[in-house]
Formats: sequence, C-alpha cells, structure tokens
Amino acid sequence: MSYIDIQNINFAYHPKRPILQNLSLSIDKGQWIAILGHNGSGKSTLAKAIIGLLEPDFGTIDIDGMTLSPTTVYEIRKKIGIVFQNPDNQFVGVTVRDDIAFGMENLGVPQAEMLEKIDFYAEKVGMKAFLDKEPAELSGGQKQRVAIAGILAMQMDAIIFDEATSMLDPTARRELMDYIRELHNEGLTIIMITHDIEEALWAQRLVIIKDGTVFRQGTREELLKEPVTFIEAGLELPVGLQISNALKQMNALSLELEEHLWESSLKK
Amino acid sequence: MGIQFKEVSFQYPGWGKQFFEALKDISLTINDKDEFIALVGETGSGKSTLAQHMNALIFPTSGTVEINGVPITAKRNKKIKYNSIRQQIGLVFQFPEYQLFEETVEKDIMFGPKNFRVPEEEAREMAKKALNMVGLSDKYLTRNPFNLSGGEKKRVSIAGILAMNPKILILDEPTSGLDPAGKKLLMNLFKSIQKETGKTIIIITHDMDLVYEYTNRVLVLNEGMLEFDGTPDYLFHRHDIDKWHLDYPATISVLRSINDKFHYNLDIYQKTIDAAVSTIAKAVQS
Amino acid sequence: MKNVIIGQYIPGSSFFYHIDPRTKIIAVVVLMVATFLLETIWQVLIGFGIALILIIAGRVPIRKIVKGLKPLYVLLLFTLVFQIAFNRVGTIVLDATMQISPFSILFMIAATIIWRLLASFKKFSLLLFFAYLVGLFFIMKNLAFSPLWTTWQLTIYDQGLIMSGFVIIRLLIIITLSTVLTLTTKPTELTQGLESLLRPLKAIGLNSEDFALIISISLRYIPTILDEANKIMNAQASRGADFAEGRLKDKVVQVISLLVPMFIIAFKRSEELADAMESRNFVPGKPRTRIHDLKFNYRDLITTVITVLCLAGSILVKVL
Repeated sequence: MSYIDIQNINFAYHPKRPILQNLSLSIDKGQWIAILGHNGSGKSTLAKAIIGLLEPDFGTIDIDGMTLSPTTVYEIRKKIGIVFQNPDNQFVGVTVRDDIAFGMENLGVPQAEMLEKIDFYAEKVGMKAFLDKEPAELSGGQKQRVAIAGILAMQMDAIIFDEATSMLDPTARRELMDYIRELHNEGLTIIMITHDIEEALWAQRLVIIKDGTVFRQGTREELLKEPVTFIEAGLELPVGLQISNALKQMNALSLELEEHLWESSLKK
Repeated sequence: MGIQFKEVSFQYPGWGKQFFEALKDISLTINDKDEFIALVGETGSGKSTLAQHMNALIFPTSGTVEINGVPITAKRNKKIKYNSIRQQIGLVFQFPEYQLFEETVEKDIMFGPKNFRVPEEEAREMAKKALNMVGLSDKYLTRNPFNLSGGEKKRVSIAGILAMNPKILILDEPTSGLDPAGKKLLMNLFKSIQKETGKTIIIITHDMDLVYEYTNRVLVLNEGMLEFDGTPDYLFHRHDIDKWHLDYPATISVLRSINDKFHYNLDIYQKTIDAAVSTIAKAVQS
Repeated sequence: MKNVIIGQYIPGSSFFYHIDPRTKIIAVVVLMVATFLLETIWQVLIGFGIALILIIAGRVPIRKIVKGLKPLYVLLLFTLVFQIAFNRVGTIVLDATMQISPFSILFMIAATIIWRLLASFKKFSLLLFFAYLVGLFFIMKNLAFSPLWTTWQLTIYDQGLIMSGFVIIRLLIIITLSTVLTLTTKPTELTQGLESLLRPLKAIGLNSEDFALIISISLRYIPTILDEANKIMNAQASRGADFAEGRLKDKVVQVISLLVPMFIIAFKRSEELADAMESRNFVPGKPRTRIHDLKFNYRDLITTVITVLCLAGSILVKVL
C-alpha cells in the first residue's frame, strides 16, 4: 500500500468548470515526486486536497492508511506539511522564533521541548542567527527556509512544495532546491508542485497534470523519451534535451552526444 | 533626449544614522528610440530603485537624472510637472494586481489617459489601440479584469501603460510566474511593439535566455553599482559574470559543455535553440 | 532592507524591561487612577516628581517622551489659553492694556517671520514658540504707537495659572506613564499581557487567546501592508494619478484606484494566510502552548509595592 493513495477525486467550484476530474495517483513513502502542469491545470488544487484544505466532491484520499475525512484531517496534518508560493503570506509569527513555534504551539508541545527544537531546526536550515528577526528583515528565500523549519519541527513524514520557488530569484531558488534534496536524502517524502521542468527533473518520478487529471506519469527517463507528451501538456523541455531531440530528427545526433546532452540535463 | 543619469546615488533612510545605499554613483544614458534593454542583477542589487528613478517616482539623494531634458535632483522643484514625466516614461510594475481596479478592462486602461486630461472618446480609442497592441481582441474591452487569467491580467496592465503612449516603456519582471508559452508570447509582443513603434523598451529580469535572445543592451547592477553596460554578446563573452550572480544563457552553457567534452570548436554564442542546433549539425556533418 | 518596526518599543535592558507586562499594564492603569485622585497643584507636582524619578531610574530616554508629547501641544496650549482667558478666581497677577496699531502689526509680522526662520532649529521648537508668544505680548503691551486701532484689557488671575498648571501636569504624568509602557514593552509582550489579563472574560464568551492572536497577526502584517500600499500608490502614480494635486473629481477616482487593489490583495492574503495556518494545525479556540511564558519575579513585587504606595498616598491626601 502506498503512503498517499488518491482515488478518482473530482472537484469543482462551479459544476460547469471542473478543476479536478477523476484524478488518481499514488505516492510511496520516501519518494521525490514532481507534479507538473501549466498554469491553471489544477495542480495546486490537488495539493490543497491532499492536506484537507478542500474536500473533493467525489473520490477518496488515503494517507498512511487513514482515509481523509473531517475527523482524520488533524492527524493527517501532523504527517504532511506544505510550503506555499508566497513567502510573505505564510509567515504567521512576529519573529522567526515565533513562526517556527506556531505549528508546535498548535499541537500543544511543552515549552521546554519547543525551545530546544526551535534552536535545533533553525540551525538546520541555517537561520539560527536570525531567530529574533522580523519578517520584514528577511529575504524570500529565508522566509521559505523558516517555513521548512516550522514543518520539520513537527516531525512530518512528507512536505508538499506548492510552487514554493516561483517567487524567488535564481540563486535563492537553487539554494532551496539543494536544501530539498538534503531533506529527501534524510528520508522525507517530497511532493513538488511546479510548472518549471528544470525543477521537476530533480525528482525521481514525474506526474503531468492536464485539465485536472493525470495526463502521463512515470520515471523522468521514461517520460523524456516521448518529448511530444510535454508539448501537449503545454510544457517545455530543458534546452539541452530540445537540442538533442532536434538533432535526432535531423539524423545528426551521435550516440555519445545524445548521452552527453541527457546527462548534463539530468545530472542532478 | 531620453534619460541621462549623472552620478546618481540613492539612500533609503534607516534607523538613526544608518541608511541603506541602494544606488552608488550611477552614470548612464538611455535613448528614447530603438533600444531593447535588459536590467539585470540579483535581488536587492538596486534594479527596481533604478527603474523608479527613470520616471521620477524616486528622487536621487545626490546627482541628477535628466528625463527628456528635465533635471530631477534631490530637491523637488515646484515648477516641474513630475506627472507629465510619468506619461513619457511608462513603468509597469511586477504584479498587475497593484494597478487593476476598474470593473471593465476598457475603463481600467482609460485611467491613465484620463489622468492626463485626454477627452473621453479619444481615451476610449487609445484604450482599444493599446489592448490590440498587447494581442487582445476588442471583446476583452467589456470583460472584468479580475476574471482574467494571470497572463491576461499582465497584458491588460501593460496596455494600461501603453495607452498613455510613453516614449520609453519599462517593465519590472514581466515574465515572472508565467509558464513557457506565456513567457514567449509576451516577449514576442515586446519585440513587435519595439519594432513597430520604435519605443525604447527596458525589462528587468533574471532570465538570461530572454536577455540573450531578445535584447540589444544589458545593464548589470551589483550592490547598487552599475558594473556593466554593453551588448549581451559582449557580456556573455566574459568569464567572470558569476561575480555578479549571473548565469549564462542555456544555449551557451550547452554548447560550451559539448566543446569541453568532445574537444569541438563550435561557435558557442548562439542566441536561439534553432541556431545552436544548426551549428552542431553543421559540425557533425562535416 | 527597510526595517519597519511597529510601536514605539526601543530595545534596552533597564529595570522596566524585566517587569512582567501584566504588572506593567496594571501598574500604569492604577497610577493613572491615582493621578486623577490628586487635587492640588502641589500634589500633582509631587506626582510628576515621582514619575520623573522613575523615568531617570529606568533610564528611559526623556527625548523620546517629549517626542511622544508632540501631537498634544495643541491641546496643552488650548488648556492654557482657556484657563487664562476664562478663569476669574483668585487674585489678579497681571492686568495689562493691550494695544494694536499699524506699527505693532509690522512688529508682529517681523516677529512671525523671525520665528518661522528659526523654525529649522527643531530641537528648540517648543521654546521658540513660547518666546514668540512672549514677544507678541511685549509688542502689544509696549510697542503700539498711535494711531491705535483697538485696545483691550488682558487680566490674568492666579487661579487661572494654577489650574492650567494643574491640568497640564496631570496630563504630562499620564502621557509619561503610557509612553514608558510602550517604550519598554514589545508589542508582542503587550498583547500577551492583555491576553492573560482578559482571560477571565472567557466566562462571558470572549476568547482572549484568539483575540491576542488577531492582534499579533495584525501587528505582523502592518509593515507588509504599508509597503504594499506604497507600491500600489507608485503603480497608480505611474499611470498619472496625482495624489498631491489634481481636481477633487479626479481625486475620488484616484483614491478608489488605491483602495480597490489594496482590498483585493488583502482578501487574497487573508485566504492564503488562513490556509497556511490551518495546514499548520491551527484550530480556533483549541488550547495551545506558548513559547513565551510570563513569569513574575522580584521586580514585579517591587513595582507592585511602589504602585500600591502611590495609590495609597493619593487616597490619603484625598481623604485627609
């Protein structure tokens, strides 16, 4: 049984404009999965459904053997955390310390334990020196790291990153991606929601969402063999692979060159 | 005419005697015709501050910004109509949500012209023209701007500035948050506006692929200083741009990695993927 | 980059900083009540003396307190003028004939110009203003040569002066007390103190925890919203909205052009914030633990003793 098991979920704010349609997906524990789709494909709605922020009209979501329902939702939110797109709109605390504490305070963690964990996880995400800083003094990347520390402090199994890098500049983005890889190496399940294919290719498994349902899924190597899939879903391949595919069509691609272009595009 | 920066510095006030120096001794000239400029640098390097000097939203702490012959200095001059400068130099902010407020797209685009006392009918004409310039048809005129998609909102907000018919158009991160298709559409739009009207266009961006493919001049800011002013070709021929926290365009990186690995001697400075592909194909076939 | 910090809090480590916010809030309220029990000018002067000693002992920068008084200058001046003009009790201290003539008008204009020119010395603005008033008085009393336009009699009674002194000093004490509170207490501590003090109100259905959370989130977002308002203003200014000048008719539309984006962004923000809070296990009304604990120490005892003594003193002088 998978860690997350989504079966046939449907969701619509307006019956004529469904956002999720018969979407089924399973995610194993410890996996790094990227959910890819263009703007408006329904991928962020899926993230909200997994964490119980909205209830599907039909279908079920099972997480760690529990079926998501109004009674289990609080248990599930102790297992899965989410980092949203806008770093400013998820920073609840007046200072970094207060923000890391927020989730633990909600769970009723004793004060002494909280203080210990705040120090530990702030150190871990490299924000120890900033514990007394206010959000106005932090960059977007630093705020996202604080959000991660808050989730780690609650000892979660999985983190959803809902376009969490899209408001950061390239340097901060790379730093965050490196950090996510570290988390994955430590055993966390990573669910990355993105429209950036370069970012998605860091994951082991890709799921392409189109029109509110799973369009294609598989390992990245499997999917990249059919470049047309990405074009149909309104996505663009990394430049190295686009070059490789074009050369192949012209019969101007040697085996070594193909290997090199693939390797450099997927080196992560 | 155009914009001339003469030894411009700007400091944000802080607590007590501290201040944050956002721009340091900047001198540069921007023509009001036929330029396509990229303004690049990492977050906090002073890009937005520089852009806001160009239409007198911010006044320099020292030095002079001359905008179409009007000098802007630290002291506000009551005789200068700063407002009319903003009509000549259009600045589009990053988030369309900052400016959309009317109940129809048409009314919203008319807001700018009407602020400059353009008669109602003429403003309506200008709105229609501006909307077509950003590639949206007349049927959008009656739409509610808040029900549009992200990319459409962005285009309406650009039309809102274009309707004032500025000589120079400045766009702060116009492609951020858009998917590849949306990005391409917008950049091609800027290119055609630039070609058809001869307006100078300045974009603030982090995307070096766009800088290389579309622009003909790059300004690099780092810690408030203007470190580079020249063509993108010249910039990417340098080997030290990472000290300004810049990447190379993907075409250059890919071609360079091929040269390194297979000891080819390809010309790596190719602006588009097609050009890169034909360069490699030629080398392989010969 | 821009440090917008809300409230007047300035970091420090003197005695006042280490008192529990609850003690501070209660002490300030009690001392204000005690101040209102005082009845004579001598009593308020002693009260003011005690307040000054406390400030100096607590190393609170007096300049900050003077700054806090600025918005009240008009009120203080009004009190003074009102008492002097209408209080007709006690003995006469001054009875002068005031005169106005073309000459004295010229002198007055000159005095006004000199006063405005010196206004750039902001440090002495209050002093200069009083010097200006005295100057006007002197001109009207002594420098009016003929032809006279009008004359009137300025009569000041001693009770008028004493009463205005009394009212002003009482106001000074109250403002000083509240400024000391806000200068030495972080906004977060203040809300936490309030929350703790309001906890008994749960009996009538007011959840003080939620209330405190609302206040602290508001405090946290004020800098963000100000920054955003500034950006929206710039975005609309780029479209020619002239907030300084412009006709009234245009102004209405321009204000709307600010308010609509601000509200729309605020609604979107609150939705996202609610999602973020919920996903981090926040459930309204559910008991939470806190990282900041409020603990009383010996300083609170000292503060309480001093406060009680002050209150007892003022009750005593009222009864006796």
